[in-house]
Amino acid sequence: MGILLSIVADLGVPNFYVLIPEIIVLTVALTILVLELFTKNKSLLSALSIFGLGLAAISVFFIQEGDKTLYGLYIVDTFSLWFKFLILITSITIFAVFNPYIDSKRSYYGEHYYLMLFSILGMMIMVSSPNLITMYMGLELMSISLYILVGLLKRDYKSKEGAFKYLIIGGAGTAIISYGIALIYGKTGTFDLIGIALKLQDNIDVGGIGGLVLLIVGLALKASAVPFHFWTPDAYEAAPTPITALMGGVAKLATYATIVRVTVDAFGGSSEVWAPAWAVLAAASMVVGNFIALRQKDVKRMLTYSSIAHTGYILAALASGNGVGFFAILFYAMVYVFMAIAGFLFLSAFERNEGWTNSVEDFKGLAKRHPIMALYMLILMFSMLGIPPTAGFMGKFGIFLSLISADVWWLTIVLVITSVISAGYYLRIVANMYMYEPISKAKFNLTQIEKAVIGFLSILTLLLGVYPAIFWEISNLLTNSLLMTAVAR
Amino acid sequence: MTPTFETASFPILSVSILIPFVAALIVFALNEKVAKPISIVASGIVLAISSYLMLVYDPKDYKIQFYEKYEWIPQFGISYEVGVDALSLTMVWLTALAFFVSFIWSTNIQNRVKEYFISFLILEAACIGVFVAWDLVAFYVFWEVMLIPMFLIIGIWGYAERLYAATKFFIYTFFGSLFLLIGVVGMYIYNFYSNKVLSTSYFDLLNVDLPHNLEIVFFLLLALGFAVKVPMWPFHTWLPAAHVQAPTAGSVILAAVLLKMGTYGFVRFNLPWFPEASKVFMPVMFTLGVIAIIYTAMMAIAQTHIKRLIAYSSVSHMGFVTIGTFALNMEGVNGAIITMISHGLTSGALFLAAGFIYERLHSYEMKDLGGMAKFVPVFATLFMISVMASAGLPGLSGFVGEFLALLGTFKVSILTAVLAGLSLVVGAAYTLWLYKKTMFEEELLSEERLKEYSHIKDLNSAELWSFLPLVIFMFVIGTYPNWWVNLINSTSAFVLHKIVGG
Repeated sequence: MGILLSIVADLGVPNFYVLIPEIIVLTVALTILVLELFTKNKSLLSALSIFGLGLAAISVFFIQEGDKTLYGLYIVDTFSLWFKFLILITSITIFAVFNPYIDSKRSYYGEHYYLMLFSILGMMIMVSSPNLITMYMGLELMSISLYILVGLLKRDYKSKEGAFKYLIIGGAGTAIISYGIALIYGKTGTFDLIGIALKLQDNIDVGGIGGLVLLIVGLALKASAVPFHFWTPDAYEAAPTPITALMGGVAKLATYATIVRVTVDAFGGSSEVWAPAWAVLAAASMVVGNFIALRQKDVKRMLTYSSIAHTGYILAALASGNGVGFFAILFYAMVYVFMAIAGFLFLSAFERNEGWTNSVEDFKGLAKRHPIMALYMLILMFSMLGIPPTAGFMGKFGIFLSLISADVWWLTIVLVITSVISAGYYLRIVANMYMYEPISKAKFNLTQIEKAVIGFLSILTLLLGVYPAIFWEISNLLTNSLLMTAVAR
Repeated sequence: MTPTFETASFPILSVSILIPFVAALIVFALNEKVAKPISIVASGIVLAISSYLMLVYDPKDYKIQFYEKYEWIPQFGISYEVGVDALSLTMVWLTALAFFVSFIWSTNIQNRVKEYFISFLILEAACIGVFVAWDLVAFYVFWEVMLIPMFLIIGIWGYAERLYAATKFFIYTFFGSLFLLIGVVGMYIYNFYSNKVLSTSYFDLLNVDLPHNLEIVFFLLLALGFAVKVPMWPFHTWLPAAHVQAPTAGSVILAAVLLKMGTYGFVRFNLPWFPEASKVFMPVMFTLGVIAIIYTAMMAIAQTHIKRLIAYSSVSHMGFVTIGTFALNMEGVNGAIITMISHGLTSGALFLAAGFIYERLHSYEMKDLGGMAKFVPVFATLFMISVMASAGLPGLSGFVGEFLALLGTFKVSILTAVLAGLSLVVGAAYTLWLYKKTMFEEELLSEERLKEYSHIKDLNSAELWSFLPLVIFMFVIGTYPNWWVNLINSTSAFVLHKIVGG
């Protein structure tokens, strides 16, 4: 106790006030951890989680921006606050449809709730890390919770296999990141992103490049960019579908935000090193993701590969290495999270029904069997394809803008060609829904909440395409916030 | 020459985009019995508005009239900017007319009636949007939005191979339009770097001083986007497939409106934006145009499927528009615009006729058809007029446009004009062949087939009323082309102002 008191006396009490969202999520997670031992009441646990996430999301609005706390290990700026808000809000949608899914699979574990909360906490830490160590902690908290979540499906061998694969490859990724951090620390003597930027300035040498490349490889692995994507299809397919939505939507969002923050704040001066690296990863992801997605019969797997392709689109914006690129990447990441979550939750809702196997065949005649849901899926598919007036188009427009402004023509052409290829599989879903007769007349049993959540997300996708100015303004603010932090210190 | 604007006191163009859209929402909310009346009323109002606009449009000086501009995405300098000049206006009118006619025609849709009318209404809103938008991003949004309903129309209500045709249509156009997007974004960025202006407005991009090689690149990017839509040879292969498989009303819209978007793009963007590149590419465009005219006319003669024949004839007519446009003189551009209008009327009528024949005889194949004229005299007359207009008989609309286009071409390249002119003969051959094989020659039919004929009825009132407006305007344009030429003259002068000076 004596040591602690003397540290506090030296450095001052950290400002815990700005950590309220994290504290709320942590408290709820710990409460559930204990509560789950005494009750099997799923509705209670999930209501408590949603309440906690909602409260945390609201609390974001009452926080002073621009503070660093925990002795410089934690940053609370516009960037982190907005992403925390987005993470919390989108997680709520997943919790909202989680219970029915688990019921139908008869695979209840109390651990689900607090593990999901812990992974969300990890994402919140990731997006507000001004420091490689904080980032590493957040990344690990998120990843380890997700490794377990992927395996939590009773009586399903594939789930265990996917989890194991994810664990091994994800573990390798973490190791690579820590090597990278170590190299960078050896070169610069600091973990602080701004400190690194100051030390490296423009003359990055072998040590710095080595560290940066390892960091890029590790982060690309977490974002499932080709050629580090091999865990993705298995883990995504094996996981309980709402967890897939968490991984493919929310976790991706946090990863992209982290990638942007690290590249901009720590390596802003050496874009000539990382821009080509991201460009190559982006091109490979677009080509491989889209071509393999074309061959998939299973829609969950198809969406997984499409998410790899989208990683490619998003990383492509980084290849421009300029402000427009950050602007575009943030916008696309924000709108993609809605599409991805809605897509996977759509499957999760239908999976509960007898005879639904997620195969493309199951979509035949869906427009007749469930017109509204088919319409939502239509919006989502066209949005992922990038057809206006959906948010997906605005995202791609931003990426085109950034690539052309940086004169990266070859990547622009790759983006165009692969987009056209992606039409092949998105259109197949739409065609199956609208242009075939239903294969069975059985009614679908969907809860009101599921319909409402998926409807909300897809209509949001449409509205953000018709009037994207608000989200562009937000990504503008976030880019400025990032660049300001980089310039200010 | 910077165009002046005449701001609208009432946002009448936005209203005419919104009416079909709101109608679609209403149809969505109500049941399918009212879908058709609501659609007819909505498109009727739009037709009335556009006709009114055409009458009050002032063709003397070049002004963008009924102009509106609102901020949309200020971060990029993107706004919602609509207005019309004569080219836009005639296209809007054609769109409104084609949709009105299609809605009246669509009586016997039994399958998913609500979705059918919703798709068409959204398509109408998007098509009008394309023609009135002056902001490039808004233009592109409308241009692409159209793909979704058209994909569904071909894919849901089409014939046997509909899925293949719909996907082919979608992928071809999507491919082309992405290049169009790159071109537009490239212009926008170049404008930003050189003039520090963040704007996607047509008028800001009009005055960008491009270096020669960039001008060529942007010309090609935009041209690729438009050429797929026109469609120009060799990008035309999606068109016969789409036409053959689409339902009748879908074919009418495809031929009368969607194809015009490509040529509209050439006249609107390529000529004023890239005057030097247009001159450079004139021989290339002439070659492609002549190939389209002759090759597809030959293809048309070889067809036995009547819709495929009409589809190929469309490509051929679009070839005239291409050479007229790239003759780069007043006669040529005027001729191109009038051919666009005229082709909208004639091809619309021909596809209606094909639909009529199919509904009576349940076949599009020439070997199953023939000898109808005796049983359906009214239809036979109207069909004859449409066929003649399409072949370019003087006194009907087709002649005016093609004559002007050829006249313009003749001034520049005699060889092109002669080759294109020769194909008019082929054109007459396949349209008359079409008429003969469907209307006459009952002696070639078997006894049983002839027995079935006794049941067929002439045009019912819905069909008559969808046919009549098209035929009337074929006469109007053909006999009094002066009014139309006057209307579009100042616009053509504006389109060419950088090329011929002044």
